[in-house]
Amino acid sequence: MQDVLDKPRRGDALSAVPAEPPVTVRRRRNNRARWELTARITALSMFCLLLLFPFVWLVSQSLKDTNQYFAVPFEWIPSPFRWENFTDVIFKYEFLHYIGNSLWLALYAVVVNILASSFVAYGFSRFRFPGRNALFMVVLATMMLPGQVMTISLYRFYREIGWIDTFYPLLIPKLFGAAFEIFLFRQFFLSLPREIDEAARIDGCGTLRTWWHIILPQSKPVIIVVAVFTFLGSWRELFGPLIYLTGEENRTLPLGLLYFTSPFGSSLPMLMAAIVISLIPPVVLYALGQKYIDKGVAIAEIK
Amino acid sequence: MTMVSAEQRPRPKRRWWRREGVQGYLYISPWLLGFLMFGVAPLIAAFLTSLSKANVFRTIRFVGMDNYEKILTDDPVFATIAGNMLIYVIGSTVISIGLGLALALLLYKDFRGNHVFRTLIYVPSLLVGIATAYLFKQVFRGGEVGLANMFLSIFGTEPVNWLGDSEKPWLALVALILVNVWFAGGTMLIFLAGLKGIPASYFEAARVDGAGPWQMFRKVTLPLLSPVIVFNTVMALIGHIQVFETPLAFANSGGVATGNPLGYENSLGTFVTYLYVKGFVYQDMGYASALAFIMFAATLVLTGLVLWLARRFTAYGDADQN
Repeated sequence: MQDVLDKPRRGDALSAVPAEPPVTVRRRRNNRARWELTARITALSMFCLLLLFPFVWLVSQSLKDTNQYFAVPFEWIPSPFRWENFTDVIFKYEFLHYIGNSLWLALYAVVVNILASSFVAYGFSRFRFPGRNALFMVVLATMMLPGQVMTISLYRFYREIGWIDTFYPLLIPKLFGAAFEIFLFRQFFLSLPREIDEAARIDGCGTLRTWWHIILPQSKPVIIVVAVFTFLGSWRELFGPLIYLTGEENRTLPLGLLYFTSPFGSSLPMLMAAIVISLIPPVVLYALGQKYIDKGVAIAEIK
Repeated sequence: MTMVSAEQRPRPKRRWWRREGVQGYLYISPWLLGFLMFGVAPLIAAFLTSLSKANVFRTIRFVGMDNYEKILTDDPVFATIAGNMLIYVIGSTVISIGLGLALALLLYKDFRGNHVFRTLIYVPSLLVGIATAYLFKQVFRGGEVGLANMFLSIFGTEPVNWLGDSEKPWLALVALILVNVWFAGGTMLIFLAGLKGIPASYFEAARVDGAGPWQMFRKVTLPLLSPVIVFNTVMALIGHIQVFETPLAFANSGGVATGNPLGYENSLGTFVTYLYVKGFVYQDMGYASALAFIMFAATLVLTGLVLWLARRFTAYGDADQN
């Protein structure tokens, strides 16, 4: 995984070209390179501006009251700022409760997914057994299956055993690992030298302890990537909670947003404030794990 | 026996569960168990359900392929949705792949500030979900208040009623597709990794041979990147076929799930929103299961089509398997 990103860049190879062109040609090439760079940066800046506009607009709208929200011409900097929107959403609109539900579900998913998926991936990467490669292909194939196909019969099953409007349908399936995360862990484990495992084994370390004491401590980069992706996946999940969590008490943050209604008037700025709140954790999480995530996404491509 | 015993001496002492093969199965057993319980079993159950029909008293009757037949031949709502999906999936995949690749090419060269651009483009793709769906619902709001219309007014265009135009219901679908412009960062990052994986010497060799930028892209970058393009296209297709939050939010009126969750004249209906409505609003599980399998079949057909096209148009199919 590392070496794909550390491959020599174009510039390195350029400097290795021996024959220096004459000065005029070089200057012309320099001019063209500079012009090209300017064009590149201009295009990217314009695109980023386009990308950022809705988010700036969102923050601006979340700090207004309804009259300011609909004012024409548009005010980018609200006057006055209505910071109360945020406290109102959190405390008066039950969002504290929704955030709490979403947060513990996401943290549970992170812990369980790291343990279960790395455990399974350890089996796939360090043991030889009949049908291993075929079974791993099945793991990959399950990523193609639309989850909704299973959801319908699972819903009926959960209804039979009384799990509707409990968190069990969201908690229990996570105990068995997830295909994409198993794939990420396996790819990473394959890149770890086997010699250390061997040494541990000779010293009398069982395979379970090897996984816990040798493999996992070396896997910080992939653990961080899996943690961030799992958190984000759980944080934004709507379909499962929408179907399984029918009561108001168990609503997660996405459900709170979906059913957003206002008992106190002026709901749109409040909705915008709620959106801002729900977007903060993903952004913070990305900022924290950025170094690893940029590389982690690349794993998916090295199949 | 005597010859191999030296090699196998520790063997007889080992318990059966210490054997490598057995241990391997033990380690993958959580996944295997989960796959059987939450994958295979519900899949079979869903298929059986799709062949049945339950009436109001919840007595289940076997009806063979009736559900499938009704969906495919006698369901005007599904016909509209299939049309929506065809336009949506093609439009969105073109945006995800075309824009993602273009951005990756722009960011391929290292320059100061490259990192900032990459982060700004990538982060929105992590925010996809109901929150951004509601944000874009406000962005594509009709009248002068919507951000999209404010943007268009710079060019002197009249405000467009994106999500509620009864004469042009297809505008809602256009808005739904345009939202994907904000989420192209994910494919961009994978393309970037793929581009960095191409040895620089190939570009250098092409340059020495006098290839221009377009030729370089056409003859070097594109063929060598084709496995990544195929991977990204398949992933984008699967993701777009299962789109759910944005159409649901766009069709939602007022904030609560009121009105038609499929949008005005079903113009925002997608496979999953229709499945949700049929299965969980009207509780017609047989019909919803059949819909799910039709969606799955559509995924397989489109994936197969992409792989077939890739094999046809990639002359260097084997050269890039490093």
